[in-house]
Amino acid sequence: MKKITLLLLSILLSMSITGCSSFWEKDNNTVVIGGKNFTEQDILVYIMKGIIEEKTGIKVKAKAYLGGTNVVSQAIDRGDLDIYAEYTGTALVSVLGEEYSPSDPEVVYEKVKTIYDAKKQIVWLKPFGFNNTYTLSMRTEQANALGIETFSDLAKQSAALRLGATHEFLERIDGYQNVKAVYNMQFSSPAGMDPGLTYTACRDSNVDVIDAFSTDGRILAFNLKVLADDKKVFPPFYAAPIIRADTLKKHPEIGEVLNLLAGKLTNEEMMALNAKVDLEGKSPQVVANEWLKAKGLI
Amino acid sequence: MMFNNFLVMLQNRWPEIMIGTWEHIQLTLVALFIGNLIALPLGILLTRKRKLAEAVIGITSVFQTIPSLALLGFMIPFFGIGFGPAIVALTIYALLPILRNTYTGILGVNQAVVDAGTGMGMTSRQVLFMIEIPLALPIIMAGIRTATVMVIGVATLAALVGAGGLGDIIFRGIAMARQDLILAGAIPAALLSMIFDYILKRIEIAVQP
Repeated sequence: MKKITLLLLSILLSMSITGCSSFWEKDNNTVVIGGKNFTEQDILVYIMKGIIEEKTGIKVKAKAYLGGTNVVSQAIDRGDLDIYAEYTGTALVSVLGEEYSPSDPEVVYEKVKTIYDAKKQIVWLKPFGFNNTYTLSMRTEQANALGIETFSDLAKQSAALRLGATHEFLERIDGYQNVKAVYNMQFSSPAGMDPGLTYTACRDSNVDVIDAFSTDGRILAFNLKVLADDKKVFPPFYAAPIIRADTLKKHPEIGEVLNLLAGKLTNEEMMALNAKVDLEGKSPQVVANEWLKAKGLI
Repeated sequence: MMFNNFLVMLQNRWPEIMIGTWEHIQLTLVALFIGNLIALPLGILLTRKRKLAEAVIGITSVFQTIPSLALLGFMIPFFGIGFGPAIVALTIYALLPILRNTYTGILGVNQAVVDAGTGMGMTSRQVLFMIEIPLALPIIMAGIRTATVMVIGVATLAALVGAGGLGDIIFRGIAMARQDLILAGAIPAALLSMIFDYILKRIEIAVQP
């Protein structure tokens, strides 16, 4: 009995080891596209994969939902990934560890592009067009009734409103702490909660103001309103494909093809695509291909 | 040096920790109060209606097996977020240990003593309050103490549904990967457990016949 178990175990082990190596193996005409662990990144992975395979004939291996920024940025540094979609603000603050001072989106893009070129030999292609930034959001109805359009408008009435936000947002120095200081927000006691709950809590009037990501599908579906960050406390988070310089040199056509996507995805469009996956339960791959077809890109 | 930083952080966060602790105590006390209110009489009732006991205790056991996080999430469609759903979930958690210990404790009382009471002409009510409950008290109290320690632990999860408490500080710490912040929430929670347990132990000794 013991021997059989041992035999089975060793077979399993050897199978998993060989399985692993084939998983990481890369042949010459294949590029690997990675994605972070949230819906929008999944969709972007399959949009990039779809258009590259359609227009260049290069095979693409999709590694969606890998992990956080830390994981994917290290993977591309090591060469395990060739391409993924990064956000300008994330690259600046989280990856490069630079300070953000209020500035225009183009300035931030040029800055990260220059540093990535020089330090990492990774090339920033043209941005997709949308800006998935941190923001504050309210029920559209209430915001309109109170005449709130911007963070500054909100600050004036914040003493009478309830803020619900993720624990991370409340704690981050560049999150609520900063917003509170710059705009002089007066929320009496912000309620911390799980990231999955904030949007629903706002819809159901359990709270009035939430932290939100500006391209989340639920903003559209729950009829919420994104308020304007008029003093630019949050960095811009424009998404763009980034690609290893050696891969781009080998396959320059990938750069041209991915740049066809430039400016094609507005905030509203990205939000609608996210909603299709998160709220209608469609697969990211299907949503990505439908969008490419609708835009006449494949 | 690290310890110094920790102290400075504690100093800065003191009001937050105090509020968190107070919210935590409220959550715990309210849930335990309702839990006792339901489980003690129910446990006694079940010793008089033993056919029902298996079924009722079985149901509370099933509740107990639901992961606490799932239970909290499950409450949201019915009770929204905040204090309400947290209390309901915590109460459900407190039920089983109190109910089971009350039931087993009273059943475990020596039948000869009960018979002696009945023989002396005691009514069923008198047997219950003068013989069964006093003799079963250590086991009943053990159930309440188990429930208390458990509720204090599970109450940290209430922060996920916006009910505050010490979990709020812990989850902020986890989100920022800051050990010191996690400890600033976890240590008071552990202390609360120990203090509550000690108080209940004193009560148990004080009321023992």
